[in-house]
Amino acid sequence: MTQETSQATTPTLRLTDVRKSFGPVDALKGVSLYIKKGEVIGLIGENGAGKSTLLKILTGIYQPDGGTIEVNGRVTKFRGPRDASAAGIGVVHQEQSLFTNLTVAENIAMNAGGHRTGTRFGFYDWRALNKAASETLEIIGSKLNPKTRVGDLSFVDRQMVEIARAIRTDTSKGGSPLVILDEPTSLLERGETAVLEREIRKLKSFGSVIFVSHRLDEIMRNCDRILVMRNGELVADRVTESVTEDELFKLMVGHASHASKSVRKPVDPKATPILEVYGLSRKGKYQDVSLAAHAGRVTAIVGTSGSGREEVSRAIFGAEKFDSGTIRLDGSEVRGWRIPKAVRKGLGFVPSERKVEGMVGGYSAAENIVLTNPGKAAVGPIVLPWKRNKIAQDWFTTLDVRPNDIGLELDRFSGGNQQKVVLAKWLNDPELRVLVLDHPLRGLDPGAAETVNEQIKKAVANGAAVVLLADTLEEALDMGDEILVMRDGAVTARYDMTVDDPSTLDLLERMV
Amino acid sequence: MNTSFAATASTGVVGQTNGGLLQRRIGKLWQALGPLVIFIVMFGIVAILTPTFVGGGGVTIVASSAAPILLVALGQAFVLNIGSIDLSNAAITVLGAILLAMTLGPLGAVAPLLVLVIVTLFGAVNGLLVAYMQVPSFALTLGTLGIFQSAALVVSGATTVYVESNGELVSWLYTTAIASLPMTFLLGVIVAVVAWLFLRFTRPGQGMTAIGKNESGAIFSAVRNRGLKVVAYALSGFMAGLAGTTIIAQAGSASPMGLGSDLLLPGIAAAIVGGTSISGGVMNPINVIFGALTVALVPIATTALHFDPSTQNLVYGVVIIVVVALTLTRSRSATVK
Repeated sequence: MTQETSQATTPTLRLTDVRKSFGPVDALKGVSLYIKKGEVIGLIGENGAGKSTLLKILTGIYQPDGGTIEVNGRVTKFRGPRDASAAGIGVVHQEQSLFTNLTVAENIAMNAGGHRTGTRFGFYDWRALNKAASETLEIIGSKLNPKTRVGDLSFVDRQMVEIARAIRTDTSKGGSPLVILDEPTSLLERGETAVLEREIRKLKSFGSVIFVSHRLDEIMRNCDRILVMRNGELVADRVTESVTEDELFKLMVGHASHASKSVRKPVDPKATPILEVYGLSRKGKYQDVSLAAHAGRVTAIVGTSGSGREEVSRAIFGAEKFDSGTIRLDGSEVRGWRIPKAVRKGLGFVPSERKVEGMVGGYSAAENIVLTNPGKAAVGPIVLPWKRNKIAQDWFTTLDVRPNDIGLELDRFSGGNQQKVVLAKWLNDPELRVLVLDHPLRGLDPGAAETVNEQIKKAVANGAAVVLLADTLEEALDMGDEILVMRDGAVTARYDMTVDDPSTLDLLERMV
Repeated sequence: MNTSFAATASTGVVGQTNGGLLQRRIGKLWQALGPLVIFIVMFGIVAILTPTFVGGGGVTIVASSAAPILLVALGQAFVLNIGSIDLSNAAITVLGAILLAMTLGPLGAVAPLLVLVIVTLFGAVNGLLVAYMQVPSFALTLGTLGIFQSAALVVSGATTVYVESNGELVSWLYTTAIASLPMTFLLGVIVAVVAWLFLRFTRPGQGMTAIGKNESGAIFSAVRNRGLKVVAYALSGFMAGLAGTTIIAQAGSASPMGLGSDLLLPGIAAAIVGGTSISGGVMNPINVIFGALTVALVPIATTALHFDPSTQNLVYGVVIIVVVALTLTRSRSATVK
């Protein structure tokens, strides 16, 4: 009995006054926290609040400038990821880091570090390897075959492999593993999220979990205790039952959420839509898709990842070809529809693959903003750097981009701030008419998401038509004036939000 | 115990972070001034080892031998900047020089213009095939390298072609000098300055660099990637043609094996020593001038150091490998959050 209490009071992990700075930037200004066995801790904060730095210290990628880390009551120093792994800390990354051409068992064994299980004289002992993997998978309640190639698994199954790999490190010692889930649900579909949440509850029985997410509802649903970070400090440590989502939002961004319900006007039946898509088809992707984007309205398209909505949105922007059907602009059919032409006609596109397609990371933020629509920053082909810098500075102020340094390469900004710059690139076109948004809020913290949403609403109010592929159904219902539901490449339902009032369930039924 | 641990950790890592920041600043400074520093050091070594070098017209010799290297390197740098490579441009130089030697007599002043148009088209064809047929540039230009080399052999009959008349139309470029720098070299400097202005202050120039940094991102930003690729290769062809002109200006003759036939390696070396990124998106034409001068010093330095002259290409090869290895490490920087 006494032994049990002493065990319960010694936390699995305790940080005391951990500090870390990068040059003049203090990323962590003295963070102290503890995590007990069997606890699920939610970690929230805006991009740039210091979450990533904290996680990198916990996993041994960064070494702190000061402060102590205790694991099971003993002061420990992580010289690298291997040390953190040996101490029982495993991480499931936001972007998966598995070797897709290897089997489940090989991937799980990859993290085993010092343990030699699975190899003999440097060669695989396949039987031992697969057996060890099966045992680990059994602990987390997964029935995956260890011999399956990871590349053949679904996204959520791969996440199970990552979890197995994360806890793999410690089971042999009978210690208590700590699993860090770094925004694990941001790429998951609805049903898959439920699988993951069940898994989190299972992990509680033998270890502890740090759950990082931007979705406050998920945090509230899954965590026992919630830690809020802001500007490199831990600003709150709350038991979940004692807080509300609104309070968390306020703690995180420092002010209350002032997102308002948009007022929906019915569309004038005589008005010509800016952009019309008529019977658009592409073999194997989508068939006979029609939609109309009106000035001042948001057309949201919902659907699962195979629904074809991404391909449709790219075709509208001229980024992909289509087999048949027409795209009409102001009532007349367009031909030779390619990105440069679409942009000249006033279209803009925020792609979901921000780093790859949304921006030129090696260029400064200022250069990115004027790359497409320079406005006053260029006279014909000639670029005027001083005007460019003024335009960029104005956008930085409007969108509260941090750090406030327009000359910094864009890939050195955090995701939310990058997205603000990507959006500014299109908003800098005074003639912007149609904005196609593919998951504009993906991976954004609530503060940045609010800024981005405000700007989208402002563009709509200024007369732009928006085609939105939302992250969540709630987002689609909140933003959309019209909602199209797609399944297997076909439109299965349309809702005019001025007259219809569909629930998420209505949408879901027509999606799957 | 606890505090002492914290203190050591603290000092140790703070030093490291400051070191990182300092390293970044030095990296940026090096990117701006490195090529100039390398050239000055190299020049100093040569001047010390060969006391007669500076007084005995050494500067003129270096500048005139740097001229074709500089022009070829600038063209190469444009192609490297969009993330591709042009292995054929030195072969275009030789072919262009042969064509110029053959046409200068009969056509007079029209000849240089005609040859420049032809070689620009050669470059554009390279660009069209890379951009529209999506042939990887390395494979494609390796192929056209062979084609241009064969063409040079066939056109010249595998011998030296002499300018029969009107040689003075181009030879003044070599014989005229300002501040002991021949016009051939100054032509390269002018091209470099124009190229610098083009990259810094024009939208097509910025578009090219954007392609080299992230082609997908550039495409989705409505940069005309294919058109600009053709332009970059056409510029490479054009500058190769200018390099051929400087060869005729200097030698009055051209042959598939003679002056200028070995410009590929020095051209790439000069572009890279001049700070051009082999993976695209980084190019400073002004620094390519110093890159070309440094490379032009290599034969003189190897002679001064009593190396076998046949080790020159070894030096170029080593220089390319070392500089690329160093620059790739330099750009590997972590995201500051």
